[in-house]
Amino acid sequence: MDFSLSEERKMLQETIARFFENHYDNINKHHINGNLPNGFDNNLWQESADLGIISALVSPNFGGLGGTGEDISIVFELIGKSLCVEPFLSTAVLSNTVLTSIPNPKSNLISKIIEGNLLISFAHSEMNSRYEESHIETKAEFKNDKWLINGDKSFVLNGDSSDQVIVTARIEGNVNDRNGIGIFLLDNKEINKRSYNTIDGYRAAELKFDNSSGELLARDHHALKCIIKANSSGALALSAEALGIMQICFDMTLDYLKTRKQFGKSVGSFQAIQHRMVDMMLEIEQVRSAVMLASSTYQSDETLRDKHISAAKNLVGRVGKLVAEETIQMHGGIAMTWEYSAAHYAKRLIMIDHLMGDSDYHRDRFKVLNRI
Amino acid sequence: MNFEYSEKEKVFRDDVKKWLKETLPSTLSEKVKKYQRLNREDYEIFMKNLNDRGWLAWHWPTEYGGTGWSAIEKHIFEEEIINASAPRIVPFGVNMLGPVLIEFGTEEQKKYYLPRILNNEDWWAQGYSEPGAGSDLASLKTRAIDHGDHYIVNGQKTWTTLGQYANKIFCLVKTDINSKPQSGISFLLIDMDTPGIEVKPIVTLDGEHEVNEVWFTDVKVPKKNLVGKENEGWTCAKYLLTFERTGIAGVPYSKSALNLLKIISKKSFKNGKPLIEDPVFSSEIAELEIDLLAMEIFNLRIVSQASEGKAPGMESSLLKIKGTLVRQRTTELLRKALGPQALPYLPEQFDEGWNDMPIGPDYAGPIAKQYFNMRKISIYGGSNEIQKNIVAKASFGL
Ligand SMILES: Cc1cc2nc3c(=O)[nH]c(=O)nc-3n(C[C@H](O)[C@H](O)[C@H](O)COP(=O)(O)OP(=O)(O)OC[C@H]3O[C@@H](n4cnc5c(N)ncnc54)[C@H](O)[C@@H]3O)c2cc1C
Repeated sequence: MDFSLSEERKMLQETIARFFENHYDNINKHHINGNLPNGFDNNLWQESADLGIISALVSPNFGGLGGTGEDISIVFELIGKSLCVEPFLSTAVLSNTVLTSIPNPKSNLISKIIEGNLLISFAHSEMNSRYEESHIETKAEFKNDKWLINGDKSFVLNGDSSDQVIVTARIEGNVNDRNGIGIFLLDNKEINKRSYNTIDGYRAAELKFDNSSGELLARDHHALKCIIKANSSGALALSAEALGIMQICFDMTLDYLKTRKQFGKSVGSFQAIQHRMVDMMLEIEQVRSAVMLASSTYQSDETLRDKHISAAKNLVGRVGKLVAEETIQMHGGIAMTWEYSAAHYAKRLIMIDHLMGDSDYHRDRFKVLNRI
Repeated sequence: MNFEYSEKEKVFRDDVKKWLKETLPSTLSEKVKKYQRLNREDYEIFMKNLNDRGWLAWHWPTEYGGTGWSAIEKHIFEEEIINASAPRIVPFGVNMLGPVLIEFGTEEQKKYYLPRILNNEDWWAQGYSEPGAGSDLASLKTRAIDHGDHYIVNGQKTWTTLGQYANKIFCLVKTDINSKPQSGISFLLIDMDTPGIEVKPIVTLDGEHEVNEVWFTDVKVPKKNLVGKENEGWTCAKYLLTFERTGIAGVPYSKSALNLLKIISKKSFKNGKPLIEDPVFSSEIAELEIDLLAMEIFNLRIVSQASEGKAPGMESSLLKIKGTLVRQRTTELLRKALGPQALPYLPEQFDEGWNDMPIGPDYAGPIAKQYFNMRKISIYGGSNEIQKNIVAKASFGL
């Protein structure tokens, strides 16, 4: 076993860390980005492409420089630390995973993504699908030589500004059937949408398809496999992001406890508080370990991949709640304010449990995969 | 022992229900149901109606305008106003300052201020906390210097809830900096219109304006505004805090949130079945309900021990801790029940008259916001850690 990163990966980590440090020093500014037309900064996205950060998330088979579980973790831990709202998850992880995992991968689109010239959203969730992979009500129908999509997709990350959108739709069967699913690529411009900010400062949209035509990318078991893989890659990315946030929350809380004085002493000098910091610390180490394990088996067989990712995401949900709530509580009133960045970290940490499966979903999935 | 409501209590509940139905404007209860932002008038209408009925100062001694209700009746009343989606009774005047004046105020102060509280002529704010004095309230720095018939006040208060609407603020100030922290504090009533006072908003993590900073620069306060004796304000301060605590437990709020949780769990689906049929989630709801069942009795036991117009002692700390945890847990399970539906955040949805389509079910919009907002209840009114210190000190003899 080797728990350290290779030299190459360390360099990657340093470059990316520098980029985020330089651009995301003022978290609150980024949360005002909710007011930017697309909910993120296009120049930063372009710059991150030029630096090879998007490329780090793409496999060399498709012109990238990375794309392994470790790469995803490295990039997303830093994304977490900076609360970066640029469309890394939607375009560079979810859509990238689909486009590279379908029977005929879309290499031309991937190159454009790497260059920062193409945004693609992944539209799978529906209003009532919760976190399920095969709950699909949106319909696809082949008519006059064309695939036509009808229905609604919900909570589509960056769905308001992406150029194209990958849509999962039902070709045949009932709502929860694991068969009869198709994945389609659509031009996003003609699609009716309603966009909004999420409570943690990201941008999402509700999409409405009305005989919208699209290109079939995969169907039946190929399609389901791609959906599962996309969700797993997203869950891994979010777990690493959460780890980064937890570390920041811990550091900020510790700093504050050292400087904040009440009763003539630093608040951190009270043992009741110290014990809780230790609890937080050891739970974060648990998460770090689970994320490392999940990254290391990301390229192995699907069952092991998904089992370890579910383990990580379940732990992230449980520990995320602990860390977010304790961070606010141990800071006192100050962490209840918009102006103090710990509040935004705590919000993101909590809401990560509402994306790509919550702790309950991943506990259930772990149980099932464990039986295989 | 008998935990059934008596006939008299049932009639009382019906009376309260009926009265609320007749007097609470539906536009107002709609706003409360939707968690829309309430303005000063919204709070005042309800408090005026309560006062007209003689119910505003329900826990004051009867000679001052109280109702003489039993603990059970008070509990029923609180439950019904929450069930009716009435705005909360702004506590600073009627629930906090009122009892302090009744206990420590001069006849003149009582005569002047108590009716003004009842008639909503004054909106009071609580000027306790300062940037450097939170849990360690006694370390406060705001100075009041003796100038014969008045004090000159300088300093800063913070976290002042709804201070943007207040015309009066009761403050803890330092009148003697040479004595031990607790002994040099005085309790002052200050008119917010006095020159030298500035109120600045603090935006909370959910994007709302509910707290403020209040700055005092050479503010002239007449000596007749001192409550209790000079340098003995700490006694008033502590007395007030026991009243503040009991309210925060908020059992009726948790009960109403539990009802909503059950509704949402029936309407939300997991693996093609209503979420409420999920064995794990329904167990979590059941355990919450069990906690709440016990808490309700706990609450009634403590409240009924305290005599009329008085606040309970150390037990109010236990109630505050458990009550806030249970209340926070309801907001957590509500958030979990929604799944991804908890993500969208439309700030405009909380404006009066917003009539657009919500994203997803109409109950979803405020849930995550409420979860974050409710983190405050284990921090204010004396943090839960401080309550634990109080209990350990008061009861273990260690
Ligand atoms: C939304 C909101 C509304 C408020 N409204 C008002 C208001 O209207 N008027 C008013 O006067 N105040 C108000 N407050 C202030 C509130 O009372 C204080 O926030 C509270 O007393 C805690 O103080 P602090 O925030 O400075 O935290 P600190 O005192 O700095 O505490 C930080 C952390 O250390 C812990 N801690 C401190 N001392 C100890 C110890 N000895 N042992 C163990 N742990 C300890 C605390 O529990 C907390 O977790 C409000 C606060 C909030 C958040």
